[in-house]
Amino acid sequence: MAKAREIHGLSADGSYAAAAARIVAVRAQELVDHSAGVLDTGDIERVHDMRVATRRLRAALEVFEPCFPGKRLAEDLGDVKSLADALGERRDRDVAIAALEELGATMAAPDRPGIDSLIDRLRAEQLRANEELAGLVAADRLEALRERLGDLVAEAWALAPEESPPSEAARSNGSGS
Amino acid sequence: MKARRVKKLDPGAPLAEIAARIVKVRLDELRSFAPRAIDKHKVKAQHDMRIAAKRLRYVLEATEFCFGRPGETARRRARDLQDVLGELRDCEVMLPRVREHLEELREQDADAIRARAGDAPDLDPRLVAQAPHRTAYRGLDSLAVYIEARRKLLFDRFCELWRQQEEKGTWDRLERAAERHLARARERRRAARRAERAREKLADAEGDEQHAVERARHARRPS
Repeated sequence: MAKAREIHGLSADGSYAAAAARIVAVRAQELVDHSAGVLDTGDIERVHDMRVATRRLRAALEVFEPCFPGKRLAEDLGDVKSLADALGERRDRDVAIAALEELGATMAAPDRPGIDSLIDRLRAEQLRANEELAGLVAADRLEALRERLGDLVAEAWALAPEESPPSEAARSNGSGS
Repeated sequence: MKARRVKKLDPGAPLAEIAARIVKVRLDELRSFAPRAIDKHKVKAQHDMRIAAKRLRYVLEATEFCFGRPGETARRRARDLQDVLGELRDCEVMLPRVREHLEELREQDADAIRARAGDAPDLDPRLVAQAPHRTAYRGLDSLAVYIEARRKLLFDRFCELWRQQEEKGTWDRLERAAERHLARARERRRAARRAERAREKLADAEGDEQHAVERARHARRPS
């Protein structure tokens, strides 16, 4: 599982709104970064990493909810949730198939046809889940979501006047402080 | 399971204070499910507890540095709980799927055998040996037994993990760390109110002094 990227510049005495802005900015970028190769069913860790990134982003939006404008947050949270659900559908099949393959390899030969028949069924479901996911992870769609989340981040910074957003250079090299 | 609402989340307040408020509610939520979740029949409570553990874990992922070691330990144990309860959940979901798949194969086989019997007045028992999925039954039955046994093992692991953490005071230490932040926040607010009152008194005193000076000046002026 991908480790969460460190958030620079966080402080216990800093404002809740500034923490919201810093954390959501990093988590939104993580989501986009983990989308590469996610439709490849030969490497199931990619879906897992993107799913975890989605969960972290969703958790950050929920934890810092009062720092964002309600209506826009609800819309963006809805999109993140749809993405998380689609990733979850794919991931559930990935995990079940991998577990059954591992289990099947340890079972007696007469037990294997049953396991294989269930794996075949799960593979068909995995393909359908991948088709559903494809529409949600298109690069332009994810970029649009990232931009909207960037607007939410700017709104949170506006509620933390004692602190200032990190410079563009700091943001792009990931330090964010 | 809808998350319990956390009150008084002021965007301008210090992160540590808000994190403490959220952590206290999420921790309380997690603990509230335990008495039911440790009953093996209460599957819904186990599912709710997994969600509660996930919520606590993710709040701590963003804010654990505010709580020191108790925050980090609680985050790790919340992840362990989420993992074991997640695997338990997977068994709960998989078991009926295996049974349903087996049932469908049996239905298909019955239909296939019936079709092969054609217009015969009764079914030839030898046709059963030609059932297309007959070799799959055994593996699926074995799989169902395996999942059922694993579910029991995971449930025991969950109960043991919960008991250990209660014994070690993992959640109590996190709660105390959160309480300390809230106590400091209360003290800060009291100090701010005292400072505000002192400023008002000073302003009043300065006003009174100004009036006194004005009155004295009027009194000295020749009529």
